[in-house]
Amino acid sequence: MSLSITRLTVVNVRKDLRLEWRSRDVFNSMLFFALLVVVVFSYAFDTGDSRPVMGGLIWIAFLFSTNMALNQSWARELRNGVLDAYRVSPAPAESLFLGKVLGNYLLVLLLECVMAPLFVVFYNLKSGGPLWQLAVVFLLGTWALVVNGTFFAAMSIRTKNRELMLPILLLPISLPAVYSMVEATSIVLNGDSSPWPYVKFLAGFCVIYTTACFLLFEIVLNAE
Amino acid sequence: MKSKLFFLLLAIDAGLLVYGTYLGLVVAPREATMGDVQRIFYCHVPAAATGFTLFFVNFIASLIYLWKRSAKADALALATAEVGVVFCTVVLVTGPIWARYAWGTWWNWDMRLTTTLVLWLLYVSYLVLRRSSEAGSTAVLAAALAIFSFIDVPIVYMANRWFRTNHPQPMIGTPRLDPHMQNILFFNMIAFLIFGMLIAWFRYELQRTEQKISAAHIQRAARGTAMALLPAMFLFQAPGSINPHVYLYGGYFSAWGIYAIYLLFLMSKLGKLKKEEAELR
Repeated sequence: MSLSITRLTVVNVRKDLRLEWRSRDVFNSMLFFALLVVVVFSYAFDTGDSRPVMGGLIWIAFLFSTNMALNQSWARELRNGVLDAYRVSPAPAESLFLGKVLGNYLLVLLLECVMAPLFVVFYNLKSGGPLWQLAVVFLLGTWALVVNGTFFAAMSIRTKNRELMLPILLLPISLPAVYSMVEATSIVLNGDSSPWPYVKFLAGFCVIYTTACFLLFEIVLNAE
Repeated sequence: MKSKLFFLLLAIDAGLLVYGTYLGLVVAPREATMGDVQRIFYCHVPAAATGFTLFFVNFIASLIYLWKRSAKADALALATAEVGVVFCTVVLVTGPIWARYAWGTWWNWDMRLTTTLVLWLLYVSYLVLRRSSEAGSTAVLAAALAIFSFIDVPIVYMANRWFRTNHPQPMIGTPRLDPHMQNILFFNMIAFLIFGMLIAWFRYELQRTEQKISAAHIQRAARGTAMALLPAMFLFQAPGSINPHVYLYGGYFSAWGIYAIYLLFLMSKLGKLKKEEAELR
C-alpha cells in the first residue's frame, strides 16, 4: 500500500483544515489580534493620510498574526505525540511539510481576505494601482512568510522556550522578503511606479527558500 | 603540542597587531578630507573581512556537520559563529563612530550598513538557538539554521542595493586608494585575520573540552545507574540462599544510610541559610 506524495499532502491539508474548522481557535485569535493591531496603529500614528505607511502597517499586522498561527500548527502535533508517530512512519517528511505549509497558507490568505475590507473602512484606503497587482504581491508575500515560518516553527518547537523562539529565528531571515513586500504594496497603493522589480525579487526569495526548506526539513524533523 | 603552536602564533600575531596599529595610527598618510578620523579604516575594514570569513567557515562547518555528523565540525561551527559575531560587533561599533564625524549621523540605512546589521542579527539568533534548543538536537538544528542564514546574506545584499548607497565604495585595487594606505590596510587585514582565527581556535578548543565533559557525564551517569542496580540483585536472590547476617547488616546499613543522608541535607540547608543571612547583614 503506497500513497503518492500528492495524496498524502492532500490528506494532511484536509486534516489540518478540518481540525481548524472544528475548533476555530487559531483563526479567531489571529483575526482578533490583527484587528487589535489595526486599532492600536490608528492611535499610534496620525492616520490623516495613511497611504505612505499603509504597506508597512498591513504587513506588520499579518506578520505577527501569522506568527500565532505557525506556533499553534506544530504545537497541535506535539500534544499527542503525532510528530513521533510521523517520524517512524514510512510517509515522506516532505508531504507533512507541504501539507502544513498549504494549510497555514490557506488560513493566512483567508485572514487577509477578511481583514482587507476592515483596512479599507478604517483607513479610507484607496488603491492607486490595479488591484490584481496587489493580489500577486499578497500571494507571493504570504507564501514567503508561511513557507519559512512553517520551517522555523518546526525548528522552534524543538527548543526549550518554544513560542519565543519563532520570531527570533524567522524575522531576521525574512527581512529581505518583508522589505520587498512592503515596498511593493506601498507602490501599488500609491500607484506611482512599477512594483515588478520587487515582485520578481519576492518570487526569487520564495523559490530559493522553498527549495531550502524542502531539502532541510527531513533533517530538522529527525534531529536528535 | 597544540598549545605550543597556539602560543607561538599568538605571540607572532600580537607583534603584527601592535605594528599594524602603529602603521595605521602613525605611519599612514593623513587623509585629505576626513583627517585623522579616517584611520578608523585600518581597524574597521579588517574586522569586517575577518567577521565575514568566519561566517563563511561557519557555513562550511555546518555543511560538513550535516554530512558527516562529526562533533568537531559542530564545535568549529559554534566557535566561528560566536567569534564572527564579536568581529561583526566591532564593525557595527567602529562604523558609526566614524560616520558620526564623516557623515554627521551615527547611522543610515545604507546597503552595506543594513546588510551588516542583518548579518549580525542572523548570527545572534543562531547563538540564541544553540543556547535554548534541547541538548540532543542542538547541533542539527543549528546547522540547518546556519545554512538558511548564509543563503540570506546575498539576498539581503541584493535587497539593499535598491537603496542609494552612502558607504564608501570598495577601493582595494583601484587607483583611488593610495598604494601606501593599501599596503597598511593589507598588513592590518592579515594581522586581524590571524587574530580572528586564533580566537576561533581557542573557542573551538573550549567547545571540544565541553563536549568531552558532557560525554564523560553521560558515561558516569550510565555507570551510576549500573551501580544503583547492584543492590537490586539482592532483591532477586532466592530468600533461602542468602546468609541471614546479610539481612541484618543490610537493614542496619540502609537505616543509617537514610539518617546520614537526611542529616547531610539538613547541614547543607543550614549552610546555605547562614550564607544568605551573612550576605543580607
